[in-house]
Amino acid sequence: MGQDMMKLWDSIPGFDFNPEIDLPELNSWFFDGTHSVPLLTPMYAWHWIRHCGHGSQYSAEVLSMPRYKGFTFRDHEGATYIGMRIVRDEAEIAERTEKFKEALIPWIEDFDGIWAKNRQELLSMYDKLKAVDLDKASNIDLLHHLWDMISAHRRMWEIHFLGMNVSYAAFLLLEDLVKPYGLTSESPEFQNMFRGFDNYVFKVDKKLWELGKDAVSMGLEDIIMDNPVEKVIGKLEESNAGKEWLKKLHNFLDVDGWRMVRMMDFDEPYWLEDPSVVIPPIKAFVKKGGDYDLDGMTKKLAQGREKAIADLLAKVPKDEKPWFEALIMLGGKTGSYSEEHDLFCELHCHAVQRRGFLGIGRRLAAAGTIDKPDDIWFLNPDEVERVLGAPEFHKLQYIANRRRKRWEEIRFSQVPPVHTTRANIQEAVGMDLLPSADAIIIKIVVGELPRVRPELKADIYGVCGSPGEAEGPARVIMTYGELDQVQKGDILVCPGTNPAWTPVFGLVKAVVSDRGGTLSHTAIVGREYGLPTLVNTFTGTSTIKTGQRIKVNATEGTLYILDK
Amino acid sequence: MAEEELVFWFEELGREDNDVVGKKCANLGQMTRMGLAVPPGFAISIGMYERFIRETGTDEEMKIYVRGLGDLKGSGISVFDDMSRTLRSLIEGKEMPPSIMESIAAFYSELCRKTGIEDVAVSVRSAGTESRPGMFETYLNVRGIEDVLEKVKKVWASAYTARAVAFRVNKGFGVLGDELGVAIPKMVNARASGITFTVDPVTADDSKILLEANWGLGEGVVSGAESVDGFVVDKESLEIVGRHVGNKVKCVVYTKDGADWADVPAHMQGMACISDEEIVEIAGVAKSAEKSLGGPQDMEWAIDQDLAFPGSLFWLQTRPAKVAAKKKVSASSHIADLIARKFGRG
Repeated sequence: MGQDMMKLWDSIPGFDFNPEIDLPELNSWFFDGTHSVPLLTPMYAWHWIRHCGHGSQYSAEVLSMPRYKGFTFRDHEGATYIGMRIVRDEAEIAERTEKFKEALIPWIEDFDGIWAKNRQELLSMYDKLKAVDLDKASNIDLLHHLWDMISAHRRMWEIHFLGMNVSYAAFLLLEDLVKPYGLTSESPEFQNMFRGFDNYVFKVDKKLWELGKDAVSMGLEDIIMDNPVEKVIGKLEESNAGKEWLKKLHNFLDVDGWRMVRMMDFDEPYWLEDPSVVIPPIKAFVKKGGDYDLDGMTKKLAQGREKAIADLLAKVPKDEKPWFEALIMLGGKTGSYSEEHDLFCELHCHAVQRRGFLGIGRRLAAAGTIDKPDDIWFLNPDEVERVLGAPEFHKLQYIANRRRKRWEEIRFSQVPPVHTTRANIQEAVGMDLLPSADAIIIKIVVGELPRVRPELKADIYGVCGSPGEAEGPARVIMTYGELDQVQKGDILVCPGTNPAWTPVFGLVKAVVSDRGGTLSHTAIVGREYGLPTLVNTFTGTSTIKTGQRIKVNATEGTLYILDK
Repeated sequence: MAEEELVFWFEELGREDNDVVGKKCANLGQMTRMGLAVPPGFAISIGMYERFIRETGTDEEMKIYVRGLGDLKGSGISVFDDMSRTLRSLIEGKEMPPSIMESIAAFYSELCRKTGIEDVAVSVRSAGTESRPGMFETYLNVRGIEDVLEKVKKVWASAYTARAVAFRVNKGFGVLGDELGVAIPKMVNARASGITFTVDPVTADDSKILLEANWGLGEGVVSGAESVDGFVVDKESLEIVGRHVGNKVKCVVYTKDGADWADVPAHMQGMACISDEEIVEIAGVAKSAEKSLGGPQDMEWAIDQDLAFPGSLFWLQTRPAKVAAKKKVSASSHIADLIARKFGRG
């Protein structure tokens, strides 16, 4: 029995990638390298595969997106593959287009107001979940909590995609409309129009910088810089100044600590849970030294933005100006929404869920159903539901331990970028991705494909996320936990980034990512920091080694390894 | 058992009575409460209309008629004309039951007593629970209780004008609906009338107050058909900062049994129809109304030629100003069109 029985549980019923069924249906399945590196745990994948796909479909339906009914995900051992549901019937497209127009109007007129309302809905949902006393709750209370968390997660993705689809659609339209004026999405004059918006992510960074500055002025610099990250807090507790500083840290975390270290999974802690995880960014700020004049920086970028917009508008015919300007404003939401929604959607929701699941994990471990609380990441909610009412009658080690072992073996392994019936990836992108016109998938998840120009003889080609050139030592970083290795003046080479990584952008000279397009987190933050940023290199982390000198020319999309 | 109260003085009403007496009446009540000079008058509730059609059997007759109509989707205007004629005559053809007649008459004669005018001239205005501009009827310069009762019935019946029936059917609301309240204020014997915006409806500039005015009754301004006078007042200092005296060749005046367009005498055509003193007074009241109502207002007023300033200024309506709708919508829908064209067909 063993093997066949277990197969039934693996691991996301109904959503496991099955080439025989899935390839004929949608032809191409694209690997989501932005979100599933390292490969996802089963518990997270169960949520993500269902609800992120649902959010996309919900938004496509509510907005009546003309050529697209959202994407659907399949899981293959923690790797996410995306299939696009493209509408190909012209009459249906025409009908959807009419409704799409109507659905856009409220967003065009009051994007910020709608987002504020949705943000409030999310926060009150989280507050209810946080109010549950997990250790006093009965088993049945915990089961209800499990269901409530699942509902909250589903709703979070619905809200997430509405704002994204609208602002990204405007951004893509702008890209077209500026072409006659000699601009593309990669040109600085274009990118400057979207910089310097007020953004809560940077406000949090500023608070971290202030904590670093306080530590220096309180004479704690050596303790923070010279100890390994996990020992820093213990050492600080030994002195009065240290205790005082930790109080400041806790005050900060009470407000801003519902934030996961890793955006798309449950397996790493959130800030409030493990304050030591904010030590690396604070270290990064101390290393960087100097001032962090957020207001000054934002103001300068905002002035640059005003100028870029004015320069463009000066070329636009007079009668087109009013709507052109309104469109630029709407397109500008892509940058600020893209960063800010992460805080209120994924990072916060996942932190609340991590708290809840660890509570359930403690209960299961105490009953002997699993060996330790965080084995819960290797179960799925169906399996948890099966036992949670009276866990002492059940054993789930046979599932959890096997899956954990497998995940530890493969979590950093390379997976194929696409499974397709088409001749090659270019054809797959052309036929099964681009016709969806889904800016999110095209610009972030899969990204534009780099243009290989043999005459430039580059070692690696990528897409320009933020223009400029830089030369320096490479620092290859695969996970957030390694971030404190980054030194001032390094060139960061990584699979991709999320908002928790922003503090190191102040430390490095340039950023190179394996995956992500011109609207990926890496590109957006690179622009805000004015760093040369090369995205979607595909092979950056696997080709480059830490310490090698490299030269990045983001503007022309090339990277040279100087000492091979 | 005490009879349910179905007629009210304006000062007994407020915004919360919208569903009882209709929007216009509730507004006039609210304005009175705020201390704006509103012409004295009373409101007949929607409940009174319901009692009228019940006691006269009209409600059953209308229901039977509608049941026989069948599917109306896609009907042409002639069908709605026929329906309108039938339904309106069902209402207008009924005698007013004596008890209803008496309670309206009691208020009218009290109004005559209060104003000291025998058969005082009033307007009889429709008041639906939702604003449907231009949909229902209003009768001006109505004198004497018989005429008042006649016009009340006509206002009730105006819920069944062809355009109102077509509107409801096309919106899927059904043929029957829009039960109306009736506002009956004393007519202002207007020398001049006009409208005032406490925000520029086109540019959304809220530092100025705009006035438009014409000789005669307000209908000569609101219809927007004729050249009128325009004034701009600085909201802060209440100084007149702009003026345009229009060539006012027509205005609306009383006739024997109503009101109609008339020629403006030649010497008055190029003359400002209100004085600077009146302009500043109007702007000052509008400014404080905006403040107490918490938002920009679109207001109607009239200046009575029989009374002395400032007692001659009366306020007839105020509502939240719709701002820059035209400009904003066109930019938004243009963007929506472009996005839709890029991502869809069109």
